[in-house]
Amino acid sequence: MTDRSIPAGDLAPRGIYPPTEEMLNEPVPREVRERQEENLRRAWKTPEGWRYWTAVNNSEVGVWYTMTAFVFMLIAGVMALLMRLQLWVPENDLISADMFNQLFTMHGSAMMFLFAVPMFEAISILILPAFLGARDMPFPRLSAYGYWAFLIGGIFVIGSILFSAAPKAGWFMYPPLATIELGIGSDIWLLGLSFIEVASIAAAVELIVGALKCRPPGMRVNVMPLYAWYVLVVGGMILFAFPPLIAGDFLFELERSFDWPFFDHTRGGDPMLWQHLFWIFGHPEVYIIFLPSIAIAAMIVPTVARRPILGYSWIVLSAVGTGFLSFGLWVHHMFTTGLPNMSLGFFSAASEAVVIPTGIQLFAFVATLIAGKVVMTLPMLWIAGALAIFTAGGLTGVMVAIAPFDWQVHDTYFIVAHLHYTLFGGMVFPVIAGVYYFFPFFRKKMLSERLGRWSFWLIFTGFNITFLPMHLTGLLGMPRRVYTYPEGLGIDWLNQISTVGSFIVAAGFAVFAWDIVRPKKDQPQIERNPWGAGTLEWSHEIPETKWGVRSIPHITSRYPLWDQPKLVERMDQGRYYLPDAEEGLRETIVTSVIDARPIQVQRVTGPAYITIWAAAFTGGAFILPTFHIYGPAIVSAAFAVVCILYWLWTSTARPPEKDMKDVGLGLSLPTYAAGPQAVGWWAVWITMLGDATAFASLVFGVFFYWTSNTAFPPPGAEHANGYLVALSTAAFAAAWALTRGARGLNRAGRVGSARGALAVAPLLTLAGMGGFILSVMDLDPASHVYPAMMWALMVWVVAHGIVGTIMQLYCLAGSLFGKLTPRYDADLWNVTLFWHFLGLTALVTGAMMGIVPRLM
Amino acid sequence: MERSDHDRPSHPREDEHEFSEERESLWRITLGPTIWAFHFLISYAAVSVYCFKFERMFSMGALRIALIAMTVAMLAAIAWIGWRAFLRWDVRDTGEFSNPEGSAEDRHQFLGHAGFLLALVSFIGVVYDTLPLIILGTCR
Repeated sequence: MTDRSIPAGDLAPRGIYPPTEEMLNEPVPREVRERQEENLRRAWKTPEGWRYWTAVNNSEVGVWYTMTAFVFMLIAGVMALLMRLQLWVPENDLISADMFNQLFTMHGSAMMFLFAVPMFEAISILILPAFLGARDMPFPRLSAYGYWAFLIGGIFVIGSILFSAAPKAGWFMYPPLATIELGIGSDIWLLGLSFIEVASIAAAVELIVGALKCRPPGMRVNVMPLYAWYVLVVGGMILFAFPPLIAGDFLFELERSFDWPFFDHTRGGDPMLWQHLFWIFGHPEVYIIFLPSIAIAAMIVPTVARRPILGYSWIVLSAVGTGFLSFGLWVHHMFTTGLPNMSLGFFSAASEAVVIPTGIQLFAFVATLIAGKVVMTLPMLWIAGALAIFTAGGLTGVMVAIAPFDWQVHDTYFIVAHLHYTLFGGMVFPVIAGVYYFFPFFRKKMLSERLGRWSFWLIFTGFNITFLPMHLTGLLGMPRRVYTYPEGLGIDWLNQISTVGSFIVAAGFAVFAWDIVRPKKDQPQIERNPWGAGTLEWSHEIPETKWGVRSIPHITSRYPLWDQPKLVERMDQGRYYLPDAEEGLRETIVTSVIDARPIQVQRVTGPAYITIWAAAFTGGAFILPTFHIYGPAIVSAAFAVVCILYWLWTSTARPPEKDMKDVGLGLSLPTYAAGPQAVGWWAVWITMLGDATAFASLVFGVFFYWTSNTAFPPPGAEHANGYLVALSTAAFAAAWALTRGARGLNRAGRVGSARGALAVAPLLTLAGMGGFILSVMDLDPASHVYPAMMWALMVWVVAHGIVGTIMQLYCLAGSLFGKLTPRYDADLWNVTLFWHFLGLTALVTGAMMGIVPRLM
Repeated sequence: MERSDHDRPSHPREDEHEFSEERESLWRITLGPTIWAFHFLISYAAVSVYCFKFERMFSMGALRIALIAMTVAMLAAIAWIGWRAFLRWDVRDTGEFSNPEGSAEDRHQFLGHAGFLLALVSFIGVVYDTLPLIILGTCR
């Protein structure tokens, strides 16, 4: 019996762990097995007909995500072909200068934001649970929400070019060009891509929690697949790289919409701040794209070498090391902006240092291949191509990391060649290798060997024909982003070669795309483990089942299919954990972070329309302001909030029907978790880390203006009202204390007092928000960057205050309607965690508005 | 295979319990790179602020000496972290370079190995980032 006096979140697992060999040998009677399979099948059924689109399972969402990103990539590729046609001959007039600007801006933006990053998320959502023997990701509806947000935002951004309204200031949107740009192109870029960045962060949260908490029992950190290590590192990088860009977008859009002069130097602003924020995002971004793709290589290489990877720890070092060092490189995109040479030196040195960890992993792959007996399968062919191309790109990278060399080739075609070598070698080739390798896993069919080789040689040769000459084109002086060039510079024939090559690449992609979409009904059923791999995803069932794994195994090795001989048979028989779904609910096991000891049964959510609605209204909130339609945008945002609240209320952290559940093999696990035990708490913590990074970027902005501007704040400037700032900060602090207090009171069973605290706290938050607003009322944000910055900080804290208020009221409602009780208090833990961050944000804002400017 | 730690009863707050058990080595794997990050950030911020605000007031010599002193201290810290991680890896006693087993002992040594390697790369990173301080003497 369960002890009703212990909070449900504090219940310990009971019974035997790890399972003994005798327990695993015990057969499961056939009728039990069939009943279990029937239950599982019903719980994990994919919706049919038009309801299919309400699916949230990672195997559906992952495929949609991947295919959508692939289509966006093909569209962006066609844009590149149009540009190559325009550059076929000097003085060509095929495409106007204006359209050419739109094309190169959209090509870069779409390849980065609509293909490269989403592709990582898509592939990870698709295959990570299988690597981990999990039934699904911890937050399936969040993946679905992220996908729909991505689809809506992507169509909006890429569709703009059909109306000749696309952004045209380059994929990095440098002000002042992009701020004074007429038309809505820049707004489409800023708002559309911010929307997609939100989806990226959602995916990062999902993947980090998945890799940390949804591993199978026994899969300690030293045996988890390298792919999971890379996902962890990349998820962490997204949390620190995307928020500076979101903060930048926030300032930029305030300037575009309301003329607050953040980047306008005539009113104290500085366009360099944008460059810093953009590249603090932009350079780690390159590694955010590269690492997960090379992670695919880390999965393919041991399989084709028929041996465990050599230097597992070295590869972990290389992933973590690259993740850190990649944040010290951003200024190497800004070598020509006139920063002090000493500063350039730091970034140049770090850019050279990052080569070390990057190189180590490639050497580890080569060593594994040398030590093993290589079977040159199609995936391996693509990996080999990737290594060759990436190495060439890496070498030119070492060259351009040296500042004086960069001064010569900056903004020329040399850079175009360099970046395409790194991105094709570091991303496109490994991802295609991954598609060939994993296709039998997610479609249960093989792709064609013959078409695959055709497509490889077309893309590989076409790529080199296109981009190798560009090094020379650049050294001869052809600048990037020009729509045409005069005759007689000696670059005509080089451009023609590149154009020919680009069409060969396109032909290769056509073959590849055909191979993917061509009907495969008549093809024979594939073998279960066609490549003879050792990792868990190849325990998948043929023909396909939707439950992920039949039972969740106990893992004791890096290559369980090679080292644990009876593993697959026992999984199939339901001999391991969670072989049943008695309650008809979708469930997976949550384990501890380091040693993967089972700690909880997590109920995961099923198909729903609400995620689509939530994404559509969120889209409205981002897209309508592009056309300066603010009223309906606010209404749309309100609807999005309502949808998300409905979704959370009806399907998350609900008190379970029983506190403990028998998961098989003599083990009982709690069905409810709160605080640091709960996946939801981890998700809030990770999200808020990203949020705090964005806020830190704004604070950085204040100090940046102080260093770059001789008069910040300008002499005699009016400051925010000190008394009001102090009072508002105090109100936020009190609201924080009440929220934290409510958690303790609720746990102690003093429900009435907890409700009282949760009722007063929102009032204090409102007072705090009002105070912050009033404190800057006398300042004119359009007059100078100083008051604009004070307003921006105010807007930031007020926006978060609104969310904080909603959360407090959500918990109050939960308490009143029995969703939140002293025993089941996960919501309150999560809200308190949010408030720790919000309290800190308000304190720092108070200091930045009330104290710091008076000292500057 | 070493299984002893498996037999202990499950702890109600498994994660907090595990972190306290392995806190040191979990820390250590990112501690080296974190020191690198601080070294990088402090050097860059100090030089930027100096070059934009205080270049005319005093010469760079004092700043360079201070930053190089900081570098020496940070390198010593990284070296110490690396040494501790090396002991944890315990390669001289076990002769095991790779720790592929699903046992507590292997996890322990693996975290030592990864921490050691990361300390190594952080050390090199810090040395690289100090070169401009030594080679270049002025803002320009």
